[in-house]
Amino acid sequence: MIELVGAKAVVVAGNAGRFGRFVWQTMIASARSCARTRTYPLIWAQMNIIGVRSVPIIMITGAFVGMILAVQAYDQLASMGLEERLGVLINISVVKELGPVLAAVMLAGRVGGALTAELGTMNVTEQIDAVRSMGTDPIRYLVAPRVIACLMLTPALIIYGDLLGILGGYFVGVIQFKINSWAYWSFSAAGVELWDVAVGVIKGFFFGAAIAVISCYKGFTCREGAHGVGQACTEAFVASFISILALDYALAVVFKAIYSTFWPIRSLV
Amino acid sequence: MARRKKRKVKKEDENSGSSISDGDGIIVLKDLTKKFSDNVVLDNISLTVEKGKTTVIIGPSGCGKTVLIKHLILLLRPSSGEVYFKGRRIDNMNEIELNKIRIRFGFLFQGGALFDSLSVADNITFPIRQHFKIKHWNQYDELVKNKLSMVGLEGFQSFYPSNLSGGQRKRVALARAIALNPEVILYDEPTTGLDPIRSDVINELILKLQRELGVTSVVVTHDMTSAYKIADRIIMLHNGKIIADGDDKHIRNHPHPVVQQFIHGQVNEDDLAVLRASGTIFQTQFLPDDFEE
Repeated sequence: MIELVGAKAVVVAGNAGRFGRFVWQTMIASARSCARTRTYPLIWAQMNIIGVRSVPIIMITGAFVGMILAVQAYDQLASMGLEERLGVLINISVVKELGPVLAAVMLAGRVGGALTAELGTMNVTEQIDAVRSMGTDPIRYLVAPRVIACLMLTPALIIYGDLLGILGGYFVGVIQFKINSWAYWSFSAAGVELWDVAVGVIKGFFFGAAIAVISCYKGFTCREGAHGVGQACTEAFVASFISILALDYALAVVFKAIYSTFWPIRSLV
Repeated sequence: MARRKKRKVKKEDENSGSSISDGDGIIVLKDLTKKFSDNVVLDNISLTVEKGKTTVIIGPSGCGKTVLIKHLILLLRPSSGEVYFKGRRIDNMNEIELNKIRIRFGFLFQGGALFDSLSVADNITFPIRQHFKIKHWNQYDELVKNKLSMVGLEGFQSFYPSNLSGGQRKRVALARAIALNPEVILYDEPTTGLDPIRSDVINELILKLQRELGVTSVVVTHDMTSAYKIADRIIMLHNGKIIADGDDKHIRNHPHPVVQQFIHGQVNEDDLAVLRASGTIFQTQFLPDDFEE
């Protein structure tokens, strides 16, 4: 039993070490890539694949999040005569938590899965070995542009998601439930601060980096065959999803501590 | 002054690890062992690849041929042992130093390993774009044309790997492997999966490259027709060890039974006995009557 636990611990430590080294190499390669204009076309191509093509799905997700929140919260607020404050509840939830997290989860599924499948297939068909055999660092050529693109565009996509979430909430609250438009926006403007929007956007940098690094790592280390690639994609999504939630918790604690250090607590009601 | 020079030489030696005489061969493996967990794939192999010659490594599937060829440019790191290129030890180098060595090699992978997302022209110019700056685009065009004509595929510049047949892919991969005018070309099963005529085309290309560019070639194959045609020297691997080493005549007359079985493509008596003992196919087949509803 002890032997089994020990053996498992050695495997886990080994995997953690390999992942840590991969992250370190990726950080160095990404920093160098930012300084080299020759890698900009690669980054640009990845930005198109990762960012531009993800816009519709992120906007649809954001819109539905706002609409669902409005439908769920309206009755409770209306029973207390606070329905005009629906906008604050929806908008703060969307920009601070639900928008970033759900946008990141959608990206983990759409972009993360594609990254793992692409790099995994390149791995099993020896294309990554081919890159190395021609004297090129595969992390610099394959991983760094994807990580930089994810890092830069996840916050931008979160802003798109937030925008549509706000509009979705407005549509249900004002058009469907006939809340006064001026009151809806004025309470929202008073309740949602620039800080809340910034928190959501900053989270995007962390989520984007986590999705890209985990997905690329899984692609680089996937086992041979169609089953190996499929398994790597599943593992990449699960690991990305858990990382997003764990990062969200850690960042919520950190940002709360920062906020409470500089500003007094504010009541939304 | 002399002392400073001596110190500098000593420092260079320390940096690059130990070295051996260049006359020993362009690539030298010393006591190379490779293990994957407890599985010993290469067992204490020592080998010298002579400059300008074609060395063919043969052996049954799974005997470690691909693992061996990948050690020549350190795509895999040995568990123990040493690898030298032009007298300089390279197995203790880091990846940045190794990349400078690797651009002096060309590697033809078993499946071609062409980049799916790049056109034929972009695949061929990939190593050049990574390491050199060319001022004018027409220099790339010229180079691609030249390399494609060497492998008999003029006019395929704009094709993508998915539009090519297996033989064409191997030829494009070969064009990419020679893009940097390498000193050594490594071929991993260059004729596997090709019909006899396409295989012969690849064999002729390997001979042509050696004739025209004077490159050193290391070929891994289990195609004996190909081995006899292109080899200056044939090495046979079995259970991670070299069991035969010499020219084609030496291999044809080698007394080792495994060598004779392999070159004649014969199954051994033990395997035959197992097959016979397993019964006829009819007896082991599940027929509909065997199942109850």
